[in-house]
Amino acid sequence: MKMTYVALKSLFSSPATANYPAEPKTYYPGTRGHIVLEVSTCTLCKICEIRCPTGAIQVDREGKAWSIERMKCIQCGFCVDSCPRKCLSNDPQYTSPASEKITDRLDVPYEPPKRKPKPETPPA
Amino acid sequence: MSNRTIIPFGPQHPVLPEPIHLDLVVEDERVIEAIPSFGFIHRGLERLVEKKDFQEFTFVAERVCGICSFIHGMGYCQAVERVMGITLPPRADYLRTFWAELSRIHSHLLWMGLVADAFGFENLFMNSWRIRENILDIVEETTGGRVIFGAAKIGGTRRDVTNDKLKEIGRTLKTIEAELHAITDVFEQDYSVQQRLRGIGILSREDAFDLGAVGPTLRGSGEPMDARCEGYAAYRDIEVEPIVESDCDSYARCMVRIREIYQSFDIIRQVLCRMPDGETEIKVKGYPNGEHFARLEQPRGEVLYYVKGNGTKHLDRFRVRTPTFANIPPLLKMLQGCDLPDVPVIVLTIDPCISCAER
Amino acid sequence: MSMFKRSPWMVHYDGASCNGCDIEVLACLTPRYDVERFGVINTGNPKHADVLLITGYINEQSQPVVRQIYQQMPDPKVVIAIGICATSGGIFSECYNTKGGVDSTIPVDVYVPGCAARPESIIDGVVKGLAVLETKRAAWRIERKKRNRVFRLPFFKPKASPP
Ligand code: SF4
Ligand code: SF4
Ligand code: SF4
Repeated sequence: MKMTYVALKSLFSSPATANYPAEPKTYYPGTRGHIVLEVSTCTLCKICEIRCPTGAIQVDREGKAWSIERMKCIQCGFCVDSCPRKCLSNDPQYTSPASEKITDRLDVPYEPPKRKPKPETPPA
Repeated sequence: MSNRTIIPFGPQHPVLPEPIHLDLVVEDERVIEAIPSFGFIHRGLERLVEKKDFQEFTFVAERVCGICSFIHGMGYCQAVERVMGITLPPRADYLRTFWAELSRIHSHLLWMGLVADAFGFENLFMNSWRIRENILDIVEETTGGRVIFGAAKIGGTRRDVTNDKLKEIGRTLKTIEAELHAITDVFEQDYSVQQRLRGIGILSREDAFDLGAVGPTLRGSGEPMDARCEGYAAYRDIEVEPIVESDCDSYARCMVRIREIYQSFDIIRQVLCRMPDGETEIKVKGYPNGEHFARLEQPRGEVLYYVKGNGTKHLDRFRVRTPTFANIPPLLKMLQGCDLPDVPVIVLTIDPCISCAER
Repeated sequence: MSMFKRSPWMVHYDGASCNGCDIEVLACLTPRYDVERFGVINTGNPKHADVLLITGYINEQSQPVVRQIYQQMPDPKVVIAIGICATSGGIFSECYNTKGGVDSTIPVDVYVPGCAARPESIIDGVVKGLAVLETKRAAWRIERKKRNRVFRLPFFKPKASPP
């Protein structure tokens, strides 16, 4: 008897279903979706590469690039927490499904500070 | 003349989303014995402590199980914190309790849907999962994940929730609770639910205790035991009374869980009232050295974490005894002598979480 | 609500996962996401299914089961790997019993990333998978026609090779 009441109520209330693919979903600002790098502040220090529990991030110092394997990242946000320059962030939008594994490679324009040239020892 | 047959149940079975395999020895329509076999989702994650350092391992611990993921992460952190002698700031303790109770509510609602589906009550299944989505919305807003919260870390919590937000959540939970009453009343009063659950899967109090049942399976048999009474995290300030039913059947176990949902709402209300201000994390220095057993109450029962550190960044040993693992022997006992069509219902009343059990 | 031309049936198998993704697959069937409005039905029988959803990575014991389910499904079929575990092993990729992602055992058509994969993501993945299914079906139809043409020629006899 009770159930009839519940069933009738849901018959007359507005639908609980989100009309998903037709209307895009709005995410909460804190949702962990995918990782975004702010390339201008990254110093290629490799801390995120060491900290990432799945090894999704690769930092290439010689080639000046930071790359992430999207299909390996588990959105834990540990890299975001541990980056000393705070240049990583979580974007609420998830990586969209694909037929092959995607690797995003970003070029980082960071110039390492020049070491002071050693004062030339005058020839004796 | 009796005819013995062995009927395989699983590993891929429509009632359960997870693979479990039971060989049911049946005589006519009556189950004589049930023989489980495991290993379909064994991952061996306890060995991963050798490869991941103790802070990274929080994320692995959270993925022991996706339903009670937060309590797994919290239990691991609690064990490591005890080893390292860290005392958490009170706000972190309260936030952890808040999330732990939210995950208890969402787990019990999930279970309620699955058990309703097992006895063929599709409407109830849909309605409990509809309400569960509202809980998940709160979780996603505060932690950033729907099922894997990722909010615990060694030395506190990774996120803070503003006090205004907490007040708003308190109001939302009140409306959810009111909505939930309509559904749980069905469990309490509906004739067909009673017919399907009463007197099925009897587990006497002695058997439950001897076979080492935990959680609602044990409390449904009249044994008041709840690890929250130990007073970890914020439970040291909050009174938790174990919920006990004495009928020892499937219906009693269901009622324990349903009353626990309301108890969790009550605990959350208390947590929100008393939420202290201040820091949510403290800096962790050094590496764990020593060993500790942590006991926590999960939605499915008591869980044990054993951690042994050796002063380096990798732990020596990590071990978890999950509640479903402890509830399997009582389940086999319950299945002896039941009717074949009751098997799915009985399996679901222990709230099996196979990925917990096999780790 | 005619998003798809047909109503695809799917079968769901759980490899070695943490079941976070499994409950998200189940959540897709419940009122908030309700994929049944597109005619998608979750069946327990691989012989009825067009789409195989796999969550979790493959280990020693589940490998034959997955292979068997895949072989039981009628052609054309699509495999969708859900969650990071299923695509690459994710956080468990260093475990001692892992065989790797689902693609180590059977061919995968669509990868759905996320840990746990969100229901919206799973819906998107299924939509993408169905596009793959349509192309596969077209190719398969041509193939079948070719095969049938051979059968329909009753007088066709291969020339006996000269001695
Ligand atoms: S993203 Fe941050 S942690 Fe990673 S290399 Fe750049 S500065 Fe270092
Ligand atoms: S979110 Fe986690 S898994 Fe993903 S790149 Fe960052 S640390 Fe690695
Ligand atoms: S991808 Fe993440 S949530 Fe999904 S099964 Fe694997 S560990 Fe669990």
